[in-house]
Amino acid sequence: MKILSVDDSATMRKIIGRAVSMLGYDLLEAANGVDALATLKQNFRDVCLVIMDINMPEMDGIQALVAIKADPDLQHLPVMMVTTDSDRGRMIQAVQAGAANYVTKPFSHDDLVTKIAATLGADEF
Amino acid sequence: MSPDAITTTEFKLLRDYIEEHCGICLGEGKAYLIETRLAGLMVENGCPDYGSFYRLAKNAGTPQLRDKIIDAMTTNETLWFRDTHPFTTLAEKLLPPLTDEILRGGRFRIRIWSAACSTGQEPYSLAMVIHEYCRTHPGILPSHFEILATDISPSALFLAKAGRYDENAMRRGLPDEMRARYFHSDGSVWKVNEELKNLITYKKFNLQEPMDPLGRFDIIFCRYVTIYFAEDFKKKIFDGMARALAPSGHLVVSAVESLRGIADQFLPLTYSGGLYYQCDLANPGGYR
Repeated sequence: MKILSVDDSATMRKIIGRAVSMLGYDLLEAANGVDALATLKQNFRDVCLVIMDINMPEMDGIQALVAIKADPDLQHLPVMMVTTDSDRGRMIQAVQAGAANYVTKPFSHDDLVTKIAATLGADEF
Repeated sequence: MSPDAITTTEFKLLRDYIEEHCGICLGEGKAYLIETRLAGLMVENGCPDYGSFYRLAKNAGTPQLRDKIIDAMTTNETLWFRDTHPFTTLAEKLLPPLTDEILRGGRFRIRIWSAACSTGQEPYSLAMVIHEYCRTHPGILPSHFEILATDISPSALFLAKAGRYDENAMRRGLPDEMRARYFHSDGSVWKVNEELKNLITYKKFNLQEPMDPLGRFDIIFCRYVTIYFAEDFKKKIFDGMARALAPSGHLVVSAVESLRGIADQFLPLTYSGGLYYQCDLANPGGYR
């Protein structure tokens, strides 16, 4: 199965990719919400989780989350938001829009692995 | 923006909520644990302080929020073959009479419960002991064994079932020969071999729930769990485990957990420098 990392920073996608690989999943990447929706449309049967930054150009994380939750093919996918402390208000918006979990920057590799496990584990157990 | 520090009243409210839902009893001076583990959830749920977070969880919270609180409060570190002697006791004292019964045709299976399996190190250590035992005992097969591994934390269970560990985790108590025999590398990650995984079933379980649906066990490992619980909850757990054990079944706890005065239907025994317990429901008066 695959996990989609949506972030305009290639470095962040690489950091998230390490945690994804640690858990034995393959990484898909998108640089913004528009890319993410296009990637999901092509791959949604293989994707089990979306990890998405809130602040991105073109279509930000909240807009993309709302679009995912409105799409019958995609709405079942758990979405974990990547936030910063200063995103507090937008994080609440994301939870209300259906985000399954969040991780706040700066985070450690272990923090991220545990958050992904908590998000996927909540569905499985 | 970081949340304000927790007040004494807020601490007591959340402490009681946590004890009610997972049994963990936080003593005075543990407010920092709530602050470090629940601050993010509080902010995520739009609560300006711990008091309003408590009210949300208590009065309007979803089961998902309750589970996230429990998950955040219960994830703990663990080791391979922790304390060594329980695993020596298993191989040299507890398994032989049970496998003799198998060889005589008196039983088909040996069931072991790892009652708080965390991220998998304990059940995989048990599985390694079983495989080693089978290597030296003709006629005894891994398929004669079943390990049920439970935990209250979905994230811990997910990681346990994945069976993937980084080098730091591998260094914590795993002998080199066990690593070579039962793990294989996948880049920087070490994967548990399928032969160990096949012995284990993972299940989410809160020790507050009735244990009867889990079935009967020959051996229960419940280690470094009840140290966080109040005395009356410990008693409830050990009474439940006494009923979940087969007649004369065994319970293994950690050296810092004692059943004395709490569950006297268990007879304390020693082997290999460590303590373990045998259940004897026919002796309700106990072994004081």
